[in-house]
Amino acid sequence: MTIDTIIFGILALIVTVIVCFIVSTFLPGIERKYVHARIQQRIGPPVTSPGIMAPIKFAFKDNIKPSSPVPGLFKALPVVCFIVVLVILIALTPQAFYIPALSSLIAIIGLLKVEEICYVLMGALSKSVMSVRMPFPDLVKGGVNLDVTRSFIEDISAKRSLRMITYGSFPLYLALFGPVAQSGSIFLEKIVEYQHIHGPYLFTVSGMIAAVVFFLGYMIVLNEYPFSFIKAKSDVIEGPYMEYAAKYRGIVFITRGFLMFTLAALFSLLFIGIPTNLFSWGIILNIIVALIFVLAMGIFSAFSPVFTNRQLLPVSVVASLLGVLAIALGVL
Amino acid sequence: MDEKIPNSNVIETEIPLGTVHPAALEPYRLRLFVEDEIVREAEITIGVNHRGVERIMEGLPVEKANALTEKICGICSNSHIWNSCRTGELGLGIEVPERAQFIRVLMSELERLHSHFLYLAHGCEVLSHETFSMRVFYLRETVMELLSMVGGNRVQYGCSVLGGVRPRCDLDDNRIQRIIEGMDTIEAGLTDFVKRFTADNIIMSRITGIGVLPQKQALKLAVTGPSLRATGVPNDLRTRMSEYEPFDFNIITQPDGDVKSNLIVRALESFEAIKIVRQVIDQLPEGKVVNHDWEMVDTDITDSYIEVPRGTLYHSYAIENGKVRHCIIRTPSMANIGAMQYACIGDQVTDAQLAIVQCDPCFTCTDRAIEIIRR
Repeated sequence: MTIDTIIFGILALIVTVIVCFIVSTFLPGIERKYVHARIQQRIGPPVTSPGIMAPIKFAFKDNIKPSSPVPGLFKALPVVCFIVVLVILIALTPQAFYIPALSSLIAIIGLLKVEEICYVLMGALSKSVMSVRMPFPDLVKGGVNLDVTRSFIEDISAKRSLRMITYGSFPLYLALFGPVAQSGSIFLEKIVEYQHIHGPYLFTVSGMIAAVVFFLGYMIVLNEYPFSFIKAKSDVIEGPYMEYAAKYRGIVFITRGFLMFTLAALFSLLFIGIPTNLFSWGIILNIIVALIFVLAMGIFSAFSPVFTNRQLLPVSVVASLLGVLAIALGVL
Repeated sequence: MDEKIPNSNVIETEIPLGTVHPAALEPYRLRLFVEDEIVREAEITIGVNHRGVERIMEGLPVEKANALTEKICGICSNSHIWNSCRTGELGLGIEVPERAQFIRVLMSELERLHSHFLYLAHGCEVLSHETFSMRVFYLRETVMELLSMVGGNRVQYGCSVLGGVRPRCDLDDNRIQRIIEGMDTIEAGLTDFVKRFTADNIIMSRITGIGVLPQKQALKLAVTGPSLRATGVPNDLRTRMSEYEPFDFNIITQPDGDVKSNLIVRALESFEAIKIVRQVIDQLPEGKVVNHDWEMVDTDITDSYIEVPRGTLYHSYAIENGKVRHCIIRTPSMANIGAMQYACIGDQVTDAQLAIVQCDPCFTCTDRAIEIIRR
């Protein structure tokens, strides 16, 4: 490999990531403007507002000092999440195929787990004024159970995030292993090569089942209705994100849009065999898949109330069983 | 289930919520005592919204005091001014013209529609079902326009005065036509909403068996209004009010006392309200809308009870030298506050707000100075 090739590869990677990032900033706006608002018969926000203009606005706001026992780590977590999503997207490009340790499914699953663990830490480290710190005379004569341990509402979010790691996001990871079962390799390059020879995994019975499971997992990982259990408005409000303001909230917004695109790109690679590459027609397919996912998620979420433990566990179990079925069919 | 009993011995954690919380439209403090995420006991504290309207009313001229009662609540403002005027009319022996009684009933039923629609929309919002919430708010908008047309405002109508209703609230042919058309629109929209809502299995799984208030406990806690009727008790004060004698309507009840029963009771009561509005329009008598033929005299303390969207509303005061004395107001939400604490026991934390919302709280109404007399 010559120096020129390496430089060209790095430049291509940078340009690809930048273009994908720009596209991803439109996705939350498309969901809210063209799906939620249309279904709810209202005008909705400008398409650039949720993904672009809001983060820019937040970037210029004065920050608050978060009420957290470890403020440094707390403020670093949205940045960590963004970096994790960025690395996943880099792993999906053809240039990353030269680093097998990065462009393998195990690495991607590990990175997604880091993202999920960040939510646990965000919840555990946030102590907002919305619950225990609210200056209200609870512990006075006449109050009940005065000696009970008091918990912040973000603590519930942290526990729920742990639950999601335990069983909530299980369907997504099972769906990711469908193509592995079919191609016999955890390396993305091999999975792509297999599909170039045998056709896209999506067009097999196993692939179709796994695609449905992947879509459910996509919604769960994005904490979208009805799976937005960790930030249910009726109790934990914004949950782990409650204390983020100004530029940190902006990063949270940007990361969400970026994750939407990255998961769609992951689907394109694993199920259709198209890696993320600006210099091929495949990038158009990546964008189309991202749009289809956003539209489908918007429609599904607009007609669903938030699930509690009572609904979440059965849905997760059924989706996981479907994922196992997809893997079994892939192996056969 | 006969009764829910809080189990204080095994509580692990307390989760305090509020007084500021997006799911609560008004400020109150909620302490949930939980094991894992199951609520074992709850404590609701109010008091941050107290304005002392009764105290301000003391010594005001009766007409001004009546107008002030409308400020107690932004949802059932008409009910308060109606009942306050009714209290004065009962004390002073004022005969209210029949046409004015009909217009008061019309305003009351339109207000019931607007209150119940707000309840249904808020219930959907707490369920995080924004689409249904928005659709009910659109329906409610038609009611708000009708209220604005008759009363002159969307919230504070100032419709009732001592002896009848204000002449500007009288109904002409144009207004009657708009009300008829409005009722048709609302009935069609509500029918569509109820069909879709009850056919949605995901929503049903979220609201069935959640926030159950047993009938025995509802009676013990003196719960009133639709929240009581949702436990199967057919108690509606309108059946005993002289103003409602000309009208035919059904008392809606549901058997379970859960969120589903509460939502369905209010949806079906909205159909009954539409029925009453149509009867008002059909039977509207001719004549004057206000009786000025009365004199201000001193009266003893007079009581008046009416059925408002949330239950039984009580007003009482005496008149001395044309001024209000010894004013007491008891709102239905105050009676229902005990039910809220019990309704959320046994459910998940996420369902706790839903269990509270099912009792249709209105904390601006509820925040009154009370003296508890234990017998």
